[in-house]
Amino acid sequence: MILQMKNIRLTREKNKILNNVSVDVPKGSFFVLMGPTGCGKTTLLRVAGMLDKPDFGEILFKGTSLPGKGKKLLQTRRKIATMFQSPVMFSGTILSNIAWGLKIRGVSQVEISRRVEEILTFVGLDGFAKRDASTLSGGERRRTALARALVLEPELLILDEPTTSLDPEFKRDLLVRLKEIHSITGTTFLMATHDFTDALAIGSIGAVMREGFIEQSGSMDDIMFKPENHFMASFTGLRNILHAEFIGSEAKVKHLTVAHAGLKHGSGFLAIPPEVIVLSLSEKATSERNRFSGVVQSIERNGTTWDVTVDVANVSLIAAITTGALNELAISPGSSVHLSFKASAVHLF
Amino acid sequence: MSHLLEAFSIALRMIITGDPVVFSIALRTLLIASTSTLAAALLFIPLGCLIHFNRFRGKRFVVGFIQTMYSVPTVFVGMLVFLMVSRTGPLGSMGLLFSPWAIILGEIVLIAPIMIGLTISALQGMGKGLEDTATALGAGRGTMILKVLTEAKYTMLTSVLMGFGRAVSEVGVAIMVGGNIAGYTRTLTTAIALGVGKGETASSIALGLILLSLAMVVSILVNLLQHGGRK
Amino acid sequence: MKKSLAVSLFLLAFVLAGCGEEPQPVETAEVEASAEEVSGSVAVEPMARVERLRVATTTSLYDTGLWGYLEPMFEEQYDVELDVLYAGTGKAIDWGRRGDVDVITVHSRTREELFVSEGYGVERVPFAFNYFLIVGPAADPAGLADLSPQDAFTALMDNGEAIFVSRGDDSGTHGKEKSIWASAGFDYDTDVRTAGAWYVEGGSGMGPTLVMANEMQGYTLTDIGTYLAYQGDLELVPVVDQGDALLNVYSVLQVETSRNPELSRALVEFLISAEVQQLIGDYGVEVYGMQLFTPCAGEDI
Repeated sequence: MILQMKNIRLTREKNKILNNVSVDVPKGSFFVLMGPTGCGKTTLLRVAGMLDKPDFGEILFKGTSLPGKGKKLLQTRRKIATMFQSPVMFSGTILSNIAWGLKIRGVSQVEISRRVEEILTFVGLDGFAKRDASTLSGGERRRTALARALVLEPELLILDEPTTSLDPEFKRDLLVRLKEIHSITGTTFLMATHDFTDALAIGSIGAVMREGFIEQSGSMDDIMFKPENHFMASFTGLRNILHAEFIGSEAKVKHLTVAHAGLKHGSGFLAIPPEVIVLSLSEKATSERNRFSGVVQSIERNGTTWDVTVDVANVSLIAAITTGALNELAISPGSSVHLSFKASAVHLF
Repeated sequence: MSHLLEAFSIALRMIITGDPVVFSIALRTLLIASTSTLAAALLFIPLGCLIHFNRFRGKRFVVGFIQTMYSVPTVFVGMLVFLMVSRTGPLGSMGLLFSPWAIILGEIVLIAPIMIGLTISALQGMGKGLEDTATALGAGRGTMILKVLTEAKYTMLTSVLMGFGRAVSEVGVAIMVGGNIAGYTRTLTTAIALGVGKGETASSIALGLILLSLAMVVSILVNLLQHGGRK
Repeated sequence: MKKSLAVSLFLLAFVLAGCGEEPQPVETAEVEASAEEVSGSVAVEPMARVERLRVATTTSLYDTGLWGYLEPMFEEQYDVELDVLYAGTGKAIDWGRRGDVDVITVHSRTREELFVSEGYGVERVPFAFNYFLIVGPAADPAGLADLSPQDAFTALMDNGEAIFVSRGDDSGTHGKEKSIWASAGFDYDTDVRTAGAWYVEGGSGMGPTLVMANEMQGYTLTDIGTYLAYQGDLELVPVVDQGDALLNVYSVLQVETSRNPELSRALVEFLISAEVQQLIGDYGVEVYGMQLFTPCAGEDI
């Protein structure tokens, strides 16, 4: 672990911003901190970047507990660089902005020139060195800020919402570049985002926060496909979240019995991703354990696919199908359809 | 009207030919005001920094109080300093009353709130983001403060200039603790006050024009700096 | 904080490079003696350490230019910088009590005697006198001409419309005015100050008070010296100039707590010396065609 934060609590003006938060960031990972705006992500990043001191809790950097202040703290802090959500440029050129962190570390002028040039190419700002920092566009500012942090060759790079308020194409471009940089440098990245799609596109491991708590942490696959609770399920965009009574490998949703691959007793939730539900006009001979029939209630376009809402014994289930499939089925509201999905595709929480 | 025009033309002649009395008063005023400003800046810019960069109880109250003191009446400061430096006052033994030093002391007190307050606003104006950026790029506290000050230099210069502007144009302190002694503590403002009372219109106009142009130079510089700072 | 201090210093150096340069001494030797006197090179080196003596004077001796005339002579004779501070008698005496000045030249016998008897002043030394005047608009709306001072004040009170501008500043002239009101049978605080809008308390020196009376077309009590010095700018004419009540005696008093008793004593001696007494008597005669001050050293008035 490069960074471990244990039982972090932080209160500002009687608001509990961080309430007993523990996060471990493995070395070399691209760790994504997710959660809605105002959930405490930024504060947690500030604690991680050693900009704010928590009221309570312990921070370990590479297994060593951080000193409260002094030269030791500064030395550790200098192995971490943070890029803020809205980067502030120092007055002067891009060159002087990027060089500043190196200058205060006492790096030689020759070395500074070499590294700045290199990093400008790296972030795609060739020829920008002499530009005045106040003349930059939003995307260029972000890249300058990124260069300014990267040039320090930090062991941990913290990025707070690096893509907010960027045009979609810049956003995609920046994400791709970040991923590249991560794989080339091997630096550990700790990034906050409220955008789950960004997180999925780029992260390998992460945590989701809500109102100062960590709701769930682990690999991105687990976060995506094994939500631990209702909030997580809706945060990750899961649909068909149903309240159920669990008895072993079966779950009762109203009068419907849904088979699943787990073992669980008592009440809880299950979620059936709309993409896994297959629609057909006649009952198919299939190995899938969940087979139902119902009546189409509505058909709506959702991006490139169609959401077909089907009433199955008073339970509404949404199936996502392609335009081709829709045309082939030729269904409309009121049509009878058969649904099937694998037991293993059902998420329990 | 013709009387005024005549006085005005004499005044212009005084300025153009470099009337020694008028210019010695102007020079003395400059010297006193810039000494005050220098001393006030040396004392109060660091104090403003100290207040800005530290968290303490009642900080908001302190800053608010300082800002309300921007417009402290000059005669109030004059009275205060008079009572301090009069021979029966606590600083009486220093023999400062009716000397340029007393005016300087008074002007330092007078512009202290401006210096502290505008330093704080200048630093606040730089934003927490700047402090965080410097810190996040590996600056220790000292280096961070240094960086913020460097970024704030134009705005801070503005506050110094505004302090100078107030010092150079105030009359209450200079007359009460300086005593308007000819050739010693007579400044542009006190000389004008006396000159108008005595009906010496021409020299008063000459002094007034010099004072006005000083004030204008200051505000032009302030404008330029603010423009430059924004750029 | 050390670093921030260093930065502040740096910034200041930057600021003051522009305006803090030491000014080059200006040649002032050939400056003509004018109403606005420049005392040698002190003009451009206000921080110079030279021996200084402070005299607080009533405004009439200042506004007439008498002190400006005598100052350089004394300075040359004793090699000292004489700081002349002008104020009303009340303020001058207060400065004396506080020990902020070395010598005072004022004109209020009762207060001077009190000043000495309370141990603040060494001795009351009269050195010149002249007369007060009641001046007013040439039309004389209250009909004061040829009245005694007391009757003139009574007439003003009866008139109730014609404006009178009082110094109202606790000066010697103000004291004289109050004593005239008293001898005319009025209580100053209960009768005069509350008499109505016609009674104006100006609150400034003699010169500005004359200017004010002139602007308001009112009467005022003035010493003759200041009146003559300002006459050119005024439309006011003397209305009442007879009566013992109008006698105006200037005295010089050495302050007991003076830091420089010898020089203070020397200044008193200077004013009553035969040579200076002559100069005081002659002062202004050429300009105004009449005597402003009558020397009176040695007399008990």
